[in-house]
Amino acid sequence: MKKKVIQTLILLVTTLSLVQAQDIEGVVNYERKTYWTKLIAKLPFLSQEEKDRAKMMWGNDDEEKTKLKLVFTPAQSVYTYESEQGETDDGRWSWRQDDYLVQRDFDKEIITEWHEMGGKTYLIQDSLKIPKWKILNQLKDVAGHVCMKAEMEDPANQQKIVAWFADDLPVSAGPERLFGLPGIILELDYNDGVTVVTATKIDLKKVEPKQLVLPKMKGKKINLAERDRIIKEHIKDSIKAQRNPYWGIKPWN
Amino acid sequence: MRYLLLSTFLLLLAFCAHAQTRVVVKGRMVDTTNAALPFTTVMLLTPKDSALVSYARADEKGAFEFKNVKRGTYLLKTSYTGYLPFQKEFTPGEAAVTDLGELTMKPISKELFEVVVKTAKAPLNIRGDTIEYNASSFKVPPGSTVEDLLRRLPGFQIEQDGSIRAQGQEVKRVTVDGKNFFGGDPKTATKNLGAETIDKIQVYNSKSEQSKATGIDDGKKEKTVNLALKEEYKRGGFGKIKAGVGTDERIDVRGNYNKFDDKQQFAVVGFGNNINQSGMSWDDRQDFYGSSAYRWDETDFGFGGGLTGSDGGGDGVIIQGGNVIIMNGGGGDRGFNNSYAGGLNYNYETKKKKFSSNYYYNQRRNWIDQVSKRQSILADNEFETNTTSNEYTKNDNHRVQLRYEDNLDSLNTLILIANGTINNQTYTQGKQEENLRSGGRLTSQTTQDNRNTSQTINFSGSALYRHKFKQKGRSFAASATFNLNNGDADGLQKSDNEFFVPAETGALPPRQLNLLTDNTNRQNQIRTSLFYVQPVTKRIAWESFYNFGVRQDKVDRNVYDQQEGNRRNDTLSRYYTNQVMHNRLGTGFRYNYKGLNIGAGLAGIQMNISGRFATDQNASQFMNVDRSYTVVVPGVNMNIDLKNNRYLYMDYSGSVQQPSVRDLQPIIDYSNPLYITQGNPDLKPTVSHNAYAGFQYFNPSSFTRFFGNINYSYNVNQVVYSQTIDSLLITRTKPINLTGGQNYGTYLNVGFPLKKNKANIGLNTSINFGRSYTLINEIQNRTNSNRYNWGLNLDLTPSENFTFYGNANWSYNLVKYSINTGQNQNIWNSSYSGQMNVKGPWSMYFNATFNYNIYKNDRFGLDQNIPILNMAVYKLLGKSKKSEIRLSAYDVFRRNLGINQGASGNFFTQTQVQTITRYFMLSYTYNMRGIKANLRNNGGF
Repeated sequence: MKKKVIQTLILLVTTLSLVQAQDIEGVVNYERKTYWTKLIAKLPFLSQEEKDRAKMMWGNDDEEKTKLKLVFTPAQSVYTYESEQGETDDGRWSWRQDDYLVQRDFDKEIITEWHEMGGKTYLIQDSLKIPKWKILNQLKDVAGHVCMKAEMEDPANQQKIVAWFADDLPVSAGPERLFGLPGIILELDYNDGVTVVTATKIDLKKVEPKQLVLPKMKGKKINLAERDRIIKEHIKDSIKAQRNPYWGIKPWN
Repeated sequence: MRYLLLSTFLLLLAFCAHAQTRVVVKGRMVDTTNAALPFTTVMLLTPKDSALVSYARADEKGAFEFKNVKRGTYLLKTSYTGYLPFQKEFTPGEAAVTDLGELTMKPISKELFEVVVKTAKAPLNIRGDTIEYNASSFKVPPGSTVEDLLRRLPGFQIEQDGSIRAQGQEVKRVTVDGKNFFGGDPKTATKNLGAETIDKIQVYNSKSEQSKATGIDDGKKEKTVNLALKEEYKRGGFGKIKAGVGTDERIDVRGNYNKFDDKQQFAVVGFGNNINQSGMSWDDRQDFYGSSAYRWDETDFGFGGGLTGSDGGGDGVIIQGGNVIIMNGGGGDRGFNNSYAGGLNYNYETKKKKFSSNYYYNQRRNWIDQVSKRQSILADNEFETNTTSNEYTKNDNHRVQLRYEDNLDSLNTLILIANGTINNQTYTQGKQEENLRSGGRLTSQTTQDNRNTSQTINFSGSALYRHKFKQKGRSFAASATFNLNNGDADGLQKSDNEFFVPAETGALPPRQLNLLTDNTNRQNQIRTSLFYVQPVTKRIAWESFYNFGVRQDKVDRNVYDQQEGNRRNDTLSRYYTNQVMHNRLGTGFRYNYKGLNIGAGLAGIQMNISGRFATDQNASQFMNVDRSYTVVVPGVNMNIDLKNNRYLYMDYSGSVQQPSVRDLQPIIDYSNPLYITQGNPDLKPTVSHNAYAGFQYFNPSSFTRFFGNINYSYNVNQVVYSQTIDSLLITRTKPINLTGGQNYGTYLNVGFPLKKNKANIGLNTSINFGRSYTLINEIQNRTNSNRYNWGLNLDLTPSENFTFYGNANWSYNLVKYSINTGQNQNIWNSSYSGQMNVKGPWSMYFNATFNYNIYKNDRFGLDQNIPILNMAVYKLLGKSKKSEIRLSAYDVFRRNLGINQGASGNFFTQTQVQTITRYFMLSYTYNMRGIKANLRNNGGF
């Protein structure tokens, strides 16, 4: 009996959210955490001893947190920082955020990405290209939604990206540079947990046009192929020079 | 828009293919009771790699349809909240429409869904009939076994006898990482393994043992539980050991062992050598301390100085023949050393609590044979002091450090720190010194024999509390520190003094001295500090601090004259107690916005120094020193985070330093008859003003860097030692305050690749102008020291088998004395160094470092060239390269002379210490984690 009630409840909740699914829109807040010692453990030029040393010293204290937000409508999505500056928990110190914005126009099938990488700001404009996703057999709860696992190989950054998407929120939008799944992406995992982007709050409501207004973005204009080439080259050079490539180019660039 | 995308995609495909190759795929999603599952997500994947080809959503009746599907085999996968994902492989038939019919989805068991997915937020893996979830998501108390963990997991039952049932069936086998655990009895694994070692628990149906043995599937399935271990429990501890023997009885043995996981870290370290390496290497140090290697707790909040821990006013410091020997340090790695050390470290860390502890013992015996030449400049002439000395020091040092941090809750943090050291020292010194007038006329000569044994015990304890208020940015911190320092020293000072010219004034100092000194000092210090931040606006915060400190010293120094039947020498003996009290109050504002951080404030410092002293604690009359000072100093700093890795920063602050207690006592100390010291009760505290500004830039893609700064410092009431040198060349010094000493300079560094990843070049230059004052025979001397420095480095990394790192440095120092311009000096120092690494065949490597130093001083006719070449050839052994055998040669040319030269105040010194020269060593290293031959200098990570 109890089982039936719960099932009905689940059904009801899902149906309710699906009723609105036709033109679902809103804001999702994400927290991006990067674990530097996990990243160090991936560097091919370091010995096991050096990796263990880094993990021992910083393993419990290597989390770097940033808050970002995704504003989406059926027609477009904009993903950028929640606030224009980064600051320590006590607020005594602040820093400038890297230039970073990802906009997708689903109607016109155009992407605009504004990235600071390798000490330079780029403005990437190209047509929308859906990542090659694989769907896997795992379920997980993220921010109250049961999500399914999908995976892709990032050819430029040479990293595995895992996405958890909620098919009860049927929009193909997502945080960072990723999208194109049957539901909204609520969690991303780069390179086996080096960087994890998780939804902290989902607010489904009508998006005001001003929430989608883009800031003034200046930078060198390139397309996606050029971006891939810059990243590949930088990673290759850095690894060869035995230098951590991620000081210049981040997993999410 | 999703449909739009999809249809565009499919439409595009349709254009390139014939209509016949396309089919329509449809079906209907239902649950186990045949009820429709509306709006189910339906995906078409390629079966070989699960790549997403297309997706659609069922309608309210659960029906779905894919149009224009290219022929081929697909995996249909559906997803519906609360249900197990459904999958079915199919190949469309000849017909234009493939109807898959009713597809039934099974609900996820309520337990799994509610407990695993919703409550523990653990990922649920579905692999055919295996359901797996992350055990680490389930909270069990520390020390729990796997059995305790299984009790918490949905679908598991633990019977009275410890047998396990999973999803109703008895578990026949428990494997660990896929392997049987101790003979396969499920209970041994679950009762003995700790829950914290488990990463994942997998439950699946495996073929029965019988069918595995016979190879015939009897259709029976056994419930098997596999426990996947956490990564860190797969590895045990690790360590390395190195042992080397060389010519000249050179020995170098060192080893360490580590074991760590997410919470605990344990390390042992030990070494012994006679190759002048008395400390741990930087890497070994990090391996030993682990997470506490870089922990630093600020307990004195604010700025402005004045709250120094100790000022050398008798604590752990002995005056010997005019040299100040600091008991815990000193000596460096000069001369010859025998060093032994060993330690243990244990850290425990969770997000909430952090504990670290260590014990470290080290012993060092140091022998120094030194020849030094000192040129002292007087107003109208100069004199030279030639010293030959041999010293032996033995230090035994025990140290314990404890630290505990508790994040009581999200707003409150408490940190407790306790450190203790015990140091035993034995020191002997034999010294011959002669003073010569210009022209080489011998004026005086002294032979000294000093011996000293001492023990110092130090304890310090601190408590630090930080509180964050609910209002963002509002915070409070308080700290209290207690410091105890006890020293006991016994010394013997013998000297034989000869003067070859008649005394002009005063009495001739004693020809012979034979003194026995017994010195006891007790010091305790209490410091407290408060800090408060109140946000004013979103970008501006108001910060205030208050510090209070009180330090008490008690020194009892008894000097006995052995020549006069151990009679107490009342001039040199003394007893004193004193108290130093500090109050510091400061306030300021901090502005921060988008990488622009500015702070500005003022600190007021009030100090009171009061002391009583006499020749003896029973003396009827004590002299008193009582001084109070109030100083106000500013502090300003600014940091700008410009775009693209460019940073600009500026800082200006004033700081106050109290005069040392020893300098304040009007006591004449002639225990070294050629260097008589006297205190000055009228000393004022020194205020120094420091300013610097810098800019840095780094381009992470082109690897170009630039760094530049300028700095300035100015001293008010600096404590300098005035000198009066009489005709016998006896120096009498007294501390006085002099204003005007200053220093300013600039530093620039630029580096860029000549050819990316093959050749890098770096250039640096610094210019420094220093001005210092002294009082010599009542005449004020100004010494200007202008130093110019240029450096060049070249890194060549042409291949994986060869690297070269070259360095060149040139410095020119022009020293000018206002009282005697004839003594002005030009000092040139140049150094060239190169490091070469070559990889040979059969895991053989070669490494050579060469240092070539040139010292020139026109005034003394010094022109010395010192080439030092070190070489090593080594081979990594075995497949896993865990051991290494190495033959090294140190100072191949036998030219290590231990030369040091420098000018300051009104003198120039040059010392030469006998030290380790050429030796060859054969060593063997074993590292459990493998050895990596590093040809390239690491670019940092």
